[in-house]
Amino acid sequence: MIEAHGLTKRYGRKTAVDDVSFTVHPGKVTGFLGPNGAGKSTTMRMIVGLDHPTHGTVTVNGRRYDQHLAPLREVGALLDAKAVHTGRSAYNHLRAMGATHGIGTARVREVIEMTGLEPVARKRVGGFSLGMGQRLGMASALLGDPHTLILDEPVNGLDPEGVVWVRNLVRYLASQGRTIFLSSHLMSEMALTADHIIVLGRGRVLADAPVADIVGRSTGTTVRVCSPQAARLVELLAGKGVSITSTSPQWLEVTGTTAQVIGEVAAAAQLVLHELTPVTGSLEDAYMALTQESVEYHSTTTGLHPDHLGADPALAGTEGTIR
Amino acid sequence: MSTSVLPPRTATSSQGIPPADDVRLTFPRIVRSEWIKFRTLRSTVWTLAITLLLMVGIVTLFSAIFASQEGAGNAGGNDGTSSIIVFTIAANLAQLAVVVLGVLVITGEYSTGMIRSTLAAVPRRLPALWAKGVVLAVSIFLVSTVAMGISLGVMQLFLGAKGLAPDLGDAETVRILVGVPLYLTAIALLAFAIGALMRHSAGALAAVLGLLLVVENLFLIPWKPLQHISPFLPGTAGSKILMPKAEIDAMSQGAVGTVLGPWQGYAVLLAWVVVLLTAAAVLLRRRNA
Repeated sequence: MIEAHGLTKRYGRKTAVDDVSFTVHPGKVTGFLGPNGAGKSTTMRMIVGLDHPTHGTVTVNGRRYDQHLAPLREVGALLDAKAVHTGRSAYNHLRAMGATHGIGTARVREVIEMTGLEPVARKRVGGFSLGMGQRLGMASALLGDPHTLILDEPVNGLDPEGVVWVRNLVRYLASQGRTIFLSSHLMSEMALTADHIIVLGRGRVLADAPVADIVGRSTGTTVRVCSPQAARLVELLAGKGVSITSTSPQWLEVTGTTAQVIGEVAAAAQLVLHELTPVTGSLEDAYMALTQESVEYHSTTTGLHPDHLGADPALAGTEGTIR
Repeated sequence: MSTSVLPPRTATSSQGIPPADDVRLTFPRIVRSEWIKFRTLRSTVWTLAITLLLMVGIVTLFSAIFASQEGAGNAGGNDGTSSIIVFTIAANLAQLAVVVLGVLVITGEYSTGMIRSTLAAVPRRLPALWAKGVVLAVSIFLVSTVAMGISLGVMQLFLGAKGLAPDLGDAETVRILVGVPLYLTAIALLAFAIGALMRHSAGALAAVLGLLLVVENLFLIPWKPLQHISPFLPGTAGSKILMPKAEIDAMSQGAVGTVLGPWQGYAVLLAWVVVLLTAAAVLLRRRNA
């Protein structure tokens, strides 16, 4: 269990993390989302004591990280895959890390095998690819067989097989009652892996809820309707807080009401329906809606700019439902 | 990471990991970890080899020259006290390699990002700094002692028959022979402390070498304020332990500032090491990694 209370970190005048409180529970995979610069990595670094909080506290299983007798047994952290001396082999790196806690070479070989590092274990880390570096980071994190895993972008640079491996591994470890806290920018991956989501934006918690709640609350439900008498249906549904966008003469996307209501309205007016499908939003949609105001570095070349968002029929239904 | 390695046989049910209560952070284990780190880097092996070769090489070279000049009756060649000066020269050159090692041991971790792994494993931080210092000091002391042993043997070979080899019964000779490893160890720790303060390889190397080779020599300029400070600079003070008494006396003729004895000078160098290491420790606790 990770508990943060009023966690704040300022670098000079810039506030990276602003009075953040949350709890990461054991037995679940908790995803940590947020735009670049939202303070995710800083928060994770404060959990393992690499950065000192300006205010507030964060504890792991009731104690500050540095108060534990066996920190590596308590928390395994992959904060950045580059935290390795480039002149040392992966095997020697892991051996040195393990030696601090009396973890021997048997366990080192085990995590090397587990992460698929055997072919390169004796080579110097400087020549590693991004994916191999990431695997070494995972091996370091697993070395102490920790109760809590903190993984910052663990699948970054991994091949598809590695991505699946990480997903299965963290789900398995969570099922054993361990605490898993991981960040990622891959929403589809996060939707498959996480049970619970904490969203950070500009150093503040924007959302802290189960995945299903986040998706449901932020995007609402859209109903896709296909009818040869679409124009008539629009007239009947208009008003009542319902918003309708028409993607083609026969297709409608209706938000603000349910499939059941639309079906009944159509039946009462004896309109023909070819399709009536409730569409739940994706985690990605939910995330975009939650964070669009707090994105630190806007990209202007995509359709994600707020100005374009309203004009995009596919995203129109997501407007105005934030928080 | 092949898919045949299924999660159920991964992190738990691991035979490689000792029982939970044995997995614990202790200082001897941190020292062991630092020792593994120290010897698994090429830079360490190279700088230690260079230290050894420099010392033995210079002593061999000078011994050969002395041996060939024997009989010419040149000044000072009449007993073992002048041949001892060769060890001082050797130590002054070897200190360059030692400084590089002392700096890189710590700054190498900052430049590569390794320090974050180190501090995540040892979150109280200071034990990691002390362990590094212990491993560095012991290694430098042992390597330079071995180098001194080999050098003495070589010198005995060249000059022993002619009675020019250092006299191990002479207290001053022994002080200088013991002083070489002590001096090099202290200089390594000085470089280590400055490396830990600056956290940057090139900057720290420039600072230490600039101090020992340039700044301290500038302080020899005959201007009174400088001359009062000069004896207390780390290299100037520490290297007194490498000098024969006669040489110290000769230098003190007409000296303006304090004249430190060999052990006083070494104590001043150690004081520098203690102060700088303390500052490095305070900053290591405070700074974000």
